Amino acid sequence: MDHLLSWIIFVPTLGAILCLFVPKRQVRVVAVTASLAALILSLLLFPTFLGGGEGAAGYSGSHYGELHHVERHEWITGSNLAIEYFLGIDGLGFPLLILTTLVAFLACLASWNMESWKVGKGIRAYFVLFLLLETGMLGVFVSLDFFLFYIFWEVMLLPMYFLIGVWGGERREYAAIKFFLFTLGGSVLMLVALVAMYFYSDGALASEMQRTGADAVASGYRDGVALTHGTFDLIELATNKVIQGHFNAASTVFLGLKFSTCMFMFLFIGFAIKLPVVPFHTWLPDAHVQAPTPVSMILAGVLLKMGGYGFLRLCYPIFPTGGETWAFLLAVIGIVSILYGALCAMAQTDFKKLVAYSSVSHMGYVLLGIAVMTEAGFQGAMFQMIAHGISSPMCFFLVGVVYDRAHHREINRFGGLWMTMPRYGTLATIGFFASLGLPGLCGFIGEVWVILGTFAAKDNPAMPWAPTMAVLAASAVVLTAGYILWLIRRVYLGREREEYQSFPDVSARETMILVPMAVLSIALGIFPMQTVFNFTNGTLDNMLRHVVQVIGLVP
Amino acid sequence: MSFLADTNLWSNVPVGEHLFLFSPMIVLVCTMLAVVAFPIVLGRSAAVTATIVKLGVITAFILAIRVAGQVTDGGVSGLSTSPLAGLLIADNLAAGFQIILLVFLGAVTLLWLIGSASSEENSPEFFILLLGSALGMLCMTATSNLLMIVLAIELASLPSYAIVGFNKRDRLGAEASLKYMIFGAVCAAIMLYGVSLIYGLVGSLRFEDVAEYTVSQMVSGQNRLLLSVALLCFFAGVGFKISAVPFHFWCPDAFEGAKIEVTTWLSVASKAAGLILLARLVVILCSAVDYPIEMSLVQPIAWGLGIIAAVTCTVGNFSAYMQKSVKRMLAYSSIAHAGYMMMATAVFLHPSTKGYEAGLTALFVYIVIYLVMNLGAFGVTALVSWETGSDKIEAFVGLMRRGPWLAVPMVICLVSLVGLPPLAGFMGKWWILVALGKLESNLGWFLVIVAVVNTLISLYYYLRVIVAMILKDDGQPVIHASLGGVAMVNICGIVVLALFFLQGSLKTTSERFTRDLYQAATNQDDSHRLAWKDL
Repeated sequence: MDHLLSWIIFVPTLGAILCLFVPKRQVRVVAVTASLAALILSLLLFPTFLGGGEGAAGYSGSHYGELHHVERHEWITGSNLAIEYFLGIDGLGFPLLILTTLVAFLACLASWNMESWKVGKGIRAYFVLFLLLETGMLGVFVSLDFFLFYIFWEVMLLPMYFLIGVWGGERREYAAIKFFLFTLGGSVLMLVALVAMYFYSDGALASEMQRTGADAVASGYRDGVALTHGTFDLIELATNKVIQGHFNAASTVFLGLKFSTCMFMFLFIGFAIKLPVVPFHTWLPDAHVQAPTPVSMILAGVLLKMGGYGFLRLCYPIFPTGGETWAFLLAVIGIVSILYGALCAMAQTDFKKLVAYSSVSHMGYVLLGIAVMTEAGFQGAMFQMIAHGISSPMCFFLVGVVYDRAHHREINRFGGLWMTMPRYGTLATIGFFASLGLPGLCGFIGEVWVILGTFAAKDNPAMPWAPTMAVLAASAVVLTAGYILWLIRRVYLGREREEYQSFPDVSARETMILVPMAVLSIALGIFPMQTVFNFTNGTLDNMLRHVVQVIGLVP
Repeated sequence: MSFLADTNLWSNVPVGEHLFLFSPMIVLVCTMLAVVAFPIVLGRSAAVTATIVKLGVITAFILAIRVAGQVTDGGVSGLSTSPLAGLLIADNLAAGFQIILLVFLGAVTLLWLIGSASSEENSPEFFILLLGSALGMLCMTATSNLLMIVLAIELASLPSYAIVGFNKRDRLGAEASLKYMIFGAVCAAIMLYGVSLIYGLVGSLRFEDVAEYTVSQMVSGQNRLLLSVALLCFFAGVGFKISAVPFHFWCPDAFEGAKIEVTTWLSVASKAAGLILLARLVVILCSAVDYPIEMSLVQPIAWGLGIIAAVTCTVGNFSAYMQKSVKRMLAYSSIAHAGYMMMATAVFLHPSTKGYEAGLTALFVYIVIYLVMNLGAFGVTALVSWETGSDKIEAFVGLMRRGPWLAVPMVICLVSLVGLPPLAGFMGKWWILVALGKLESNLGWFLVIVAVVNTLISLYYYLRVIVAMILKDDGQPVIHASLGGVAMVNICGIVVLALFFLQGSLKTTSERFTRDLYQAATNQDDSHRLAWKDL
């Protein structure tokens, strides 16, 4: 048992505590150092995954149970309730963890010279909250105990609320409250599922023990471990045959509704709000537009991914039958998000709002890919999350760069910025084309994989509608191209405008933030296997096999 | 002296050991007397009163801790001529509650010292009333005898009426006091009526007998209606103390009209005592149920409690929405929290032992946590209103700049009242949800959903205060709050944060203090139960 994951999570917290005590001038340095330290520590995980990855001892589940760097302690016990401090990482959490530390570090750099600092407005509080937010985000991706997951999930809320509410734009208060209410609305449903899943698993084990006469039930993925009471262990809930049988049986009811269908929906709504998909997306444009640039980067780059991560970690492996029941609805929601987000983006005149709506559209692909439950669909959704996690913070930062200089975001008032700021224009084109999904850049792979996966679902007798969905999703690419190209024409091309002549090109710091993201967008587009798929596919395919198996077993 | 031998009176006089178990109460009585007596010699001054009260509360607190150490499992019922009809019980639950209540009494006294001591001319009278109501609440939690319950509720209520309207020249306070008293008097009358009916039917004042009689009646069917009416009337009195809907109308007015330290006191102490009493009664009632057939009795009680709890917390939360005064908002929020806590009492109806244990422990944990976070929130409100002369939400605008040492603990306490991790308020809710989940029944899941939806509803109005404090600033002057007050609210903030991480020990302690009740209730043939029932 090593403590690497704990270190990664809590290094930012240590930084936050340190920020409280160092002199004001040093706060930025401490914060950047802390987030850089987290990034470096997270890079130490690479060898594990490059070497083919032997799982941690005792976690040898053949399907979806292989974990690395496991850390496991009892935390709160009593009344037969064992809540564990249980961290572990697999192909699902790993790329997202790296993404988080990277985006957080870049966003921290992007916070270096905020307008507010000139008037001395709360630099200390800002970085403390920022680092606490980072802890929350990192915790979500590596905690495998549902209770712990929930704690980290909620820990993010308050810092984010203040980051938008205090340092945001003109309507920051409204945007912050909306963000808070929407997200909490989702997480209270998750809380119901948290309690229910524990007691239903408890009930399942108890009746199994009564049936067999044994005083424990063997764990689904751990060697030599047996369960006597319910569990919050997310992997156990997914892999234990007894629990799975009970959860997914049609006879298991919750308040008169089928348990798996009901719980899947509770969890789904919680994650869908975060993702976000239509109709739960309305907080997103407000929050994005009002949030300061670095916070937008975090929001788009990491927070949205938690929704997709939640689907893949909780909804599907634990309630496969729920996923099957709701597949059509979810796919429709996905398609609607893709189309509606793209159309909304096309109608925007606010630069940042356009990027925000494009996120809704891109996240629709994630939902669609997951909903069809095919290998390519899962892989594409995962890839799309990573790709969007790189391209959208880049876009937001690009907006931030120009906003810092022009102090407005009206697309129609810009023009010819490429001429004025050549380096910026080049980087911006890479960023926006990556978002567009140009072949050779990161956005392309995810979308294509999702569309292929959706087509592939036509073999599934339960999904005769899949090809139609695939066609619709593919046609939406045209809309995406439309709004991005139109945006580039209006902002970067055309005649130079006098009022922007004096703008300096991107500074060294800004270049430093943009270049890694630009490089990654190209790298992911050209080497999708080496950069993402090799790490994620093993876990995703195992998980899918498990999902399909459970659906097959349970009539 | 033949009559003495006949009535066997002397053999039942409490022995020293038993008296010691009630020593904190006795100390409180002595303090009340001293508060009146000493000013005659030393002159009327707030300083004299405060010193006496401090000494008294600290002594009582030390004794309460020692009592908690000495109290035997199963407890002792005593102070009675008949061993079978003990008026007061000294068990772990009562001992545990004593400690909590005395800590809180100390905190309220401190708050009074900071804010009101300098302007108060009638300090002895104030403390007689305050200590009197504290004594009443202690008695409420240490009895299952109908007569004593009525006495204790009155002992807790009568001083409360007066203390709410303590400043005669304050019109708002007088109005609040009158409303409170009329409402209280009606509830007391209804309760007495219920008790007299019960006594007429059962012929005993022990609630254990009442419970057994009820169970037998519900099965055989005689006197069913009359008994139901009597019990409902009786529980109206308890509901009044908890401010459960529909007995909650006194709450916001009384809380708004009273001085803020009084509001702090009533918002937590009177509800906590009422809930402990309710828990004890419900457990006794349910433990009398022996046979599966009688579960038909338990179901309606469980649903009744559950629905009242659900309505209470929903009404409390929605009413808090539009409040302009933070004090009044917190008053409504306290109704909502009483609702959450009442949910835990609905859990006792679980057929197996699990329900009692989880529910009682959750209730106890919640009371402890609620006490700390509410003290923090009210403390900051008090400090702000003493400085600015207003408890309106406008007085909080820009508090982050004007007094960061007030704003930060306020944020912590409010967020904890919402129930978000990593703060103690979340764990309070969590254990209640776990207890409800353990029921594994529709009632349990229904209440779980009500509770979490209410969390969401409550977020908005707590957030309004946070928004005012942190996101807005209209340039009001800096607040110079007294050091003692700032220290107190910050300690509350730290404790709220720490209790989240120290969940294990808080839970273990609560289990220890509540075990008498669930053991007594669940081990039907166990010696514990015999000891508890017949001592």
